[in-house]
Amino acid sequence: MMFAGIYYSTQRLVKARLASDFLSALHFWGWQAIIVAAAITLPLGFSRSKEYAELIWPINIAVAFIWVVFAVNFFWTLARRREPSLYVAIWFYIATIVTVAMLYIVNHLSIPTSLLHSYPVFGGVQDALVQWWYGHNAVAFFLTTPILGIMYYFLPKAAERPVYSYRLSVIHFWSLVFIYIWAGPHHLLNTSLPDWLQTLGMTFSLMLWAPSWGGMLNGLLTLRGAWHKLRTDPVLKFFAAAVTFYGMATFEGPLLSIKSVNGLAHYTDWIIGHVHAGALGWNGFMAAGMIYWLLPKLWNKPLYSQSLANLHFWTGLVGILLYVAAMWVSGITQGLMLNATTEGGTVLAYPNFLDTLNAIRPMMLMRVIGGGLYLVGWLVLAYNLWRTIRGAQTVNGSIEVYAEKPAAADTRLGFAGSVFNAPVLLSVFLTGFATLWMLGENLVSVAGLVGALLTVVAGYALLYSRGKVWQGWYERLLLNALPFTVLTFVAVAAGGLIQIVPTVMVQKAANMEDRVQVPYTPLELAGRDLYVREGCYTCHSQMIRTMVPDVLRYGDYSRLGESIYDYPFQWGSRRAGPDLARVGGKYPDVWHLRHMEDPRSISVGSNMPSYPWLSERNLDVASLPAKINVQRTLGVPYGPLTPQQIFDQVNEQAKGIAKNLRDAGAYVAPEKEIIALIAYLQKLGQFEPVTPAAAN
Amino acid sequence: MTNAPKTPPPEDPIREHTYDGIQEYDKRLPNWWLFTLYATIVFWIGYWFYYETSGIGPRDTAVLAAELERIEAAKLAAAADLLDDGTLWQMSRNSVFVQAGRATFNSTCASCHKESLRGAEDGGIGASLVDGTWVHGGRPTEIFAVVDKGVLEKGMPAWGPIIGAKKTAEVVAYILSHHEEAK
Ligand code: HEC
Ligand code: HEC
Repeated sequence: MMFAGIYYSTQRLVKARLASDFLSALHFWGWQAIIVAAAITLPLGFSRSKEYAELIWPINIAVAFIWVVFAVNFFWTLARRREPSLYVAIWFYIATIVTVAMLYIVNHLSIPTSLLHSYPVFGGVQDALVQWWYGHNAVAFFLTTPILGIMYYFLPKAAERPVYSYRLSVIHFWSLVFIYIWAGPHHLLNTSLPDWLQTLGMTFSLMLWAPSWGGMLNGLLTLRGAWHKLRTDPVLKFFAAAVTFYGMATFEGPLLSIKSVNGLAHYTDWIIGHVHAGALGWNGFMAAGMIYWLLPKLWNKPLYSQSLANLHFWTGLVGILLYVAAMWVSGITQGLMLNATTEGGTVLAYPNFLDTLNAIRPMMLMRVIGGGLYLVGWLVLAYNLWRTIRGAQTVNGSIEVYAEKPAAADTRLGFAGSVFNAPVLLSVFLTGFATLWMLGENLVSVAGLVGALLTVVAGYALLYSRGKVWQGWYERLLLNALPFTVLTFVAVAAGGLIQIVPTVMVQKAANMEDRVQVPYTPLELAGRDLYVREGCYTCHSQMIRTMVPDVLRYGDYSRLGESIYDYPFQWGSRRAGPDLARVGGKYPDVWHLRHMEDPRSISVGSNMPSYPWLSERNLDVASLPAKINVQRTLGVPYGPLTPQQIFDQVNEQAKGIAKNLRDAGAYVAPEKEIIALIAYLQKLGQFEPVTPAAAN
Repeated sequence: MTNAPKTPPPEDPIREHTYDGIQEYDKRLPNWWLFTLYATIVFWIGYWFYYETSGIGPRDTAVLAAELERIEAAKLAAAADLLDDGTLWQMSRNSVFVQAGRATFNSTCASCHKESLRGAEDGGIGASLVDGTWVHGGRPTEIFAVVDKGVLEKGMPAWGPIIGAKKTAEVVAYILSHHEEAK
């Protein structure tokens, strides 16, 4: 939907045909191939386990390549534009393309161990930070900015009304792309992520509220004077509802970023409800509205049935509301139950995790109904689409465009013209000073604060005296696609640099707190890869937060050093099962064996799936030397091990576990996968204390 | 609809440039919107100052530690009537207990034992509680018994009936916090 919307609107907004039909076709078929590849590899367990970044490395390369194809095609079209000035939709497309490229590449940096498997170059807290810098902004720049761009084209078109405010477009575009990037750590609140990052994540998320609502306002207020059309026009119904959902989700987001609210909502269905309000309501309804608007234009034939489109709207709307309401109730219920304590706050009110799952079971039924209705809506759309285009010819022609006079020479802004001018310099200074203030020590910090204040004052003074000049400059910037793109890139890169670089650069010791993880033995490492392959992280977190209920339930809170050798990190984001950070040693080996073969035989009423095949399949030991080599390169302290030594270590440890099991009356050959998984589970939570001296 | 305004009111200037037929107003930003933006920025500055720059705001881990101490204290208090040496030693290492014990001590016992706990050595009436010698036995339960029942003939009142078992345990924990458990 996004690509189609961008391609369609861009050609019209810049009055130029797509630069290359070949690239467009490559983009389309390449993307389909990626989807097919994903649909095959993920169910087979080939996964990197990072959210929105699960695909394995060969597919990552394909995605990056296709994205570049898209970018080339887009910018090439821009270069050939006959409309000199860039419309706000195009700004959002530009931000999308450069930012997604940046995020995707950084978060997918990994070292392959085989054709299908790799380890990410970041581990532990660094991986967590990079992942959520990416994950949060994938939502921002893949699911928000392109859709906003599409809104800015299709909504005024369909409503036949002028956009509400250009000024608002300018302010909310720049504040959105700048602030969004900083908010990633709100996915890691109350964890062992360093405090300053948590504070940044929370406060910047709150600051994101107004810029997001700027987009909503510009959408909804554009409909002023066209509200009456809503009654008859399904397209506008979809758009209006979509923009409303956008506003709702972007209000909820900052709310969920408040640490105390997050302590309740994190790891529960509330978060899932939040994203689905965005995905189903905002993205899905924008897509539907756009499709209903485009169909008659592309096939030059009225829509087969308006009432079916209306039916789609209402089933979809009811579906989303049911779905989201179910998730709210479920999330808040589970969150409250998990955090509830009794007897003066000294013991958990619901010590059995399963109680909290049984409480939300009815909500899952409602969720299914809501999702089902929503899906039915789309089937209605598919039918409507098929009836509309059956037997019709696509419009295939060219349009005469009126091209304005070629840009006069003086509209060109060189590098100097785009960078050395008051608005850009002021923003740079402000960001710089604010960063000094936040991260500097004593005098530097004070200097940063003073500098920032002076910049603000100067900015205000200049805005009043030279506001007109700035306006003129911005209009000229809009005539210059490349400088515009560069400035956008700088704006989005700033937040990431300031958060990630210090975390990656500082000596690992500083990222450890008082403990360091004991590195995995080869067998445990193999077990860990099974844990990733089987997707256990989708239900189990490994991060005990700095919150009383977490500590009461799972034990001492997790320290940074305790996941420092975790490539990729496994902090998790949803607890449909208990946290496993300290499960090692909690139960005997045979408990795990029985539990993995049939969870219900151990925990009555458990909804954890059975994994019987783990006791049947043989462990892939042959790949271990390559994996350990990569881990060593990444900085995990493995001594020099020959493959034979690795195999010997594996055998010895596996035999030990098999013997434990045998002593308990269970017979499993040491070569089986389950042995490695048990080894891994029993290792969780083992650490060595670090003294400050040893850390240096 | 006929009454929909065909042309915008005069205070709504439309930008002269159109893109594929799309026009744009250039309206002022709504005040409440600007207010929200500024308010969140001010909040950021204040919050950062409170927690990061000034160090006034407590760290999560500190809050958590205090909270856990409180919980442990509450659990120990519940166990106060089944006291044994181990529990009393444990209490003496729990800051919530020790703090409460110090308060009781300074208000009720310091008149004779002095805030230094050195008692007669420091010009007080009672025995020194930090000199390492115990007239009535140095095991936590023995100390507890002295405080509880007193040594009436020597001028040490019985405190149990007055301050209650919980406070007695706390104050003993406070005294013990000046000592190490012999291994
Ligand atoms: C659908 C969600 C789900 C998935 C997927 C899942 N689990 Fe569980 N798991 C649970 C639930 C619920 C419980 C609590 C009830 C129980 O003990 O079975 C649990 C409990 C556990 C426990 C015991 C924790 C404790 O402290 O008592 C372990 C260990 C465990 N799971 C390991 C795994 C492993 C390993 C995998 C992947 C192979 C996995 N789980 C996949 C839901 C899941
Ligand atoms: C009126 C003065 C007075 C007050 C008030 C007083 N004590 Fe005493 N305390 C004494 C005297 C006198 C002794 C010495 C008794 C002895 O030699 O047998 C003593 C002895 C003790 C001992 C035993 C020391 C040992 O060597 O065995 C302990 C323990 C003690 N006091 C604790 C307390 C505590 C706790 C409080 C407050 C709740 C308190 N006292 C309040 C006068 C006082």
